[in-house]
Amino acid sequence: MNTSKRIYLVFLFLVTLWCAGIMLAPLVKAFGHGASSILYSLYSPICHQIDQRSLHLAGEKLGVCARCSSIYGSFLIALLIYPLIQRLGSPLLPKRWWLSVAVVPMLIDVTLNITGIYPSTIETRAVTGIFFGAILPLYLVPPLLEGFSQLWHRLTLRGGLFYARKAEQT
Amino acid sequence: MLEKPNKLRVALISGGVIGAVSGIPGISLINCCCCAGVWLGGLLAMYLYKQQFAEGMPPLESSDALILGLMSGVVGAFVSTVLSVLILVVLGPVEAEFLRSIFEKVLDRLAEEGNLPGDMLDQLKEQLEQSIKDSAQVSGILGGLFITLIVYPIFAMLGALLGYAFFRPKTPPQTTPAQ
Repeated sequence: MNTSKRIYLVFLFLVTLWCAGIMLAPLVKAFGHGASSILYSLYSPICHQIDQRSLHLAGEKLGVCARCSSIYGSFLIALLIYPLIQRLGSPLLPKRWWLSVAVVPMLIDVTLNITGIYPSTIETRAVTGIFFGAILPLYLVPPLLEGFSQLWHRLTLRGGLFYARKAEQT
Repeated sequence: MLEKPNKLRVALISGGVIGAVSGIPGISLINCCCCAGVWLGGLLAMYLYKQQFAEGMPPLESSDALILGLMSGVVGAFVSTVLSVLILVVLGPVEAEFLRSIFEKVLDRLAEEGNLPGDMLDQLKEQLEQSIKDSAQVSGILGGLFITLIVYPIFAMLGALLGYAFFRPKTPPQTTPAQ
């Protein structure tokens, strides 16, 4: 297994863990376990967690709001299918304007809601979030794999030099 | 060959911005959208770092984005906590009161519409009071710092990687061959 693949799998595992925590928080709460407060507080710095703006599981809100849930969920799915779209380790990125296209609907939804012109609904938040989250891995995965490969290479190189010097001294 | 620009100064500036955005009441609500303030801080770090490159320096690499994002996130977590504590000491729990007023309005409206039973309303208000009290305690502050020290570096790294995708050189540097 090459370095890029290993890094991809670790990243996929971490994102899955992050998303599992979002789903687990309401389930744990529904079973009346106190650990749910720890899970909810883990996500509290990154989301308002307002009940009315959240999707529910087992009668309890998810760890984050509907918009965030959609972003993370679609990010995970896009990450899963990423190797089918592009070879792991390829430095190619889509054109920059694709990202703008993905962000604009969400920004419009937020702006219309804040200005009171058109109140956003769970559906609009979810759809615009899905759109944004699905595009993100195309921009994040190539530099992420490349960056960690570079760091890994440097570390192993330094480690090799260190042991070579040590062997020379002895 | 010249060396790459120093990352520490850029990390301190962008971390300061992350901390300010996350620690100042009102502005910190931007983080309610998937940590957008921290993402933007990572993006800013990459932009500032790119500006410092001169001819003859090694090219900007994606590992620079990872390190810079990590450093900015850690600085941001500390700055945000310090700012929150300072604001708490000087002004009192401004943000908590602000959020309380919003939540109470929402809860009251739900109760008026008959979507929330009276006993549940009292229970939710009690929970709200408790969380406001907890946030002002030392354990609450340290717990918050612990969580932000995990979350901010991750999101700042993602922001910096996104910044790299935007600001990277047209011809990407040769990567290390896959093993």
